[in-house]
Amino acid sequence: MNHGRRDTPHTPDDQGTAADSHTALRLEAVRKVYRLGDDDVVALHHADLRVGADEIVALVGPSGSGKTTLCSIAGAILSPTAGRVVVGEQDITEFGESELSRVRRESVGFVFQAVNLVPFLTARENLLVIDELGSRNRSAARARADQLLDELGLADRASNLPSQLSGGQRQRVAIGRALMNEPSLVLFDEPTSALDTQLGEKVMELIRHEMKARGTAAVIVTHDERMTHYADRVVHITDGVLAA
Amino acid sequence: MYLATREMMRAKVRYGLLMAAIGLLVFLILFQQTLQSGLLDAFVGAVRSQSAPVLVFSVDGRRNFQGSVVTPPLEASIRRVDGVGRAGQIGVRNLPARAGGKLTQVALIGYEVEGLGSPGRLTAGRLPAATDEVVASDANRGDGFDIGQKVRIEPGGRELEVVGLAPDAQLLVTPTLYGSYDTLTEAVRAFNPSATDRPLSSAIGVGPAAGFAPSELASRINAANADADALTATDAAAATPGVFQVRQSFQIILLLYALVVPFVTGLFFLIITFQKANALTLLRAVGAPRCRLATALLVQVALVMLGGIALGTLLYAPLASQRLGGLVFHFQAGAVLFWSVLLLSLGLLSALLSVRRVLAIDPVGATTGAGVAR
Repeated sequence: MNHGRRDTPHTPDDQGTAADSHTALRLEAVRKVYRLGDDDVVALHHADLRVGADEIVALVGPSGSGKTTLCSIAGAILSPTAGRVVVGEQDITEFGESELSRVRRESVGFVFQAVNLVPFLTARENLLVIDELGSRNRSAARARADQLLDELGLADRASNLPSQLSGGQRQRVAIGRALMNEPSLVLFDEPTSALDTQLGEKVMELIRHEMKARGTAAVIVTHDERMTHYADRVVHITDGVLAA
Repeated sequence: MYLATREMMRAKVRYGLLMAAIGLLVFLILFQQTLQSGLLDAFVGAVRSQSAPVLVFSVDGRRNFQGSVVTPPLEASIRRVDGVGRAGQIGVRNLPARAGGKLTQVALIGYEVEGLGSPGRLTAGRLPAATDEVVASDANRGDGFDIGQKVRIEPGGRELEVVGLAPDAQLLVTPTLYGSYDTLTEAVRAFNPSATDRPLSSAIGVGPAAGFAPSELASRINAANADADALTATDAAAATPGVFQVRQSFQIILLLYALVVPFVTGLFFLIITFQKANALTLLRAVGAPRCRLATALLVQVALVMLGGIALGTLLYAPLASQRLGGLVFHFQAGAVLFWSVLLLSLGLLSALLSVRRVLAIDPVGATTGAGVAR
């Protein structure tokens, strides 16, 4: 199955045709160093990456290669030790804690690997909480949450708590939550790792469909090469170094 | 509000149990407070509510009517002190009497001058106008001491008619009667015909002359006479033997309750914060500001505390207007307000450790599933 992935090779800093005109994410010489006791551990080495406005990039690498660190920096969860990070038109490199929170709230969508839903909120409330934390346009938020749940095939599950949903349904709610703030960039961290192959492919199809339908850029972190064909472009990372 | 109330709605039993526990503690605090007030009113209400601004006992009388005897020379020296406006004898005797068909002990307070030892306030009726009339404590109105009822001193058969009721005016948890000094004299003679002399006074009620404060006058009397022990009415009530110990015992009990409430609340919310660490981390990762999550926590604490206080007050209200033996309880709105503010403040303070943990949540935990970082 080919979903439009480009077959021509790219370098990590290949800006692609779309990225030239409009870039959802730009990382320039990004470096991240963790301090562990007396040692410095370099998680990212001068990473350069551009993601176009409606581009889907698969970030592939083994465990500990720096995928999640890169994803976290791109999503304003972590600050880089060095380099420059631009999300949409905002240079967030020097942003402080509250500004980074705002970027996460308004400009970026997340689907995490481990914890994705607030257990005491229903599926609908898990989407609405994004509006509660931000601009608070309640009537518009309700309409958007209902529309997203409908599009994701969860209209009849809107009042269910996460514990009453299957793994695939929870993942779809998480995708809806990530799209709730109409982000320019959505980051998926191992979105299929907890799902079987068949369900994983369905989720990847859904991600691609939703991203392309909205013209939203996405970075999908995965170690599963079988899922990469849903991306427009694949970027490999090994020991913190990006490679084509 | 949204996060705070949604979570509480989804865990009604958990938060309801905490609210019930706080409600029970609030009820116990308010009831103990009322019990303390009822006890003190029954012990020294008569001292507190009588009308003399300053009471002068003999120094070896240990500051109570029953132990103090003021001799005529001591009384004369008190009357000579500069600053004394008016002065009058106050005599107190415990006598057996029959009231409502039952034989009981009564405290009869006789005052020489109206306004110096007479009841400061009446809830019904009037002050005595004859030697066979008395005012009774309204705490005992149901025991044969209501207006129009007669109390007979036994032996002797002297009858006294109740013509007025005074609030919280008991002495040593005994039915208490107020009459003129002549009423006291006649009652004592009826009880003991061989006591022909006018009974010696237990204290001297003193009113300050113009320009003197009661406390200043008390100091002057004490300085002028080593055998006199002058106190303002409030101080006399507080200094009655046993009052301090009763008050201190209740204060210790109330302090322990007041510490248990924030301890329980703080521990509960600390456990909750640990339990929902993943959810809080996720919320931080999707852009929830630290202060927003901390506020949600404090809103929950405030709602639980207010619910508990309301529940405790509802339990307390019907009991607060009951009688227990010779004790009369009153609903104490001031105590409810004081404890509500104090417990709400302590509850919010107790959540500071939980707030600190919430503020320490690192959103990067959402990418690793680590939850609260530390």
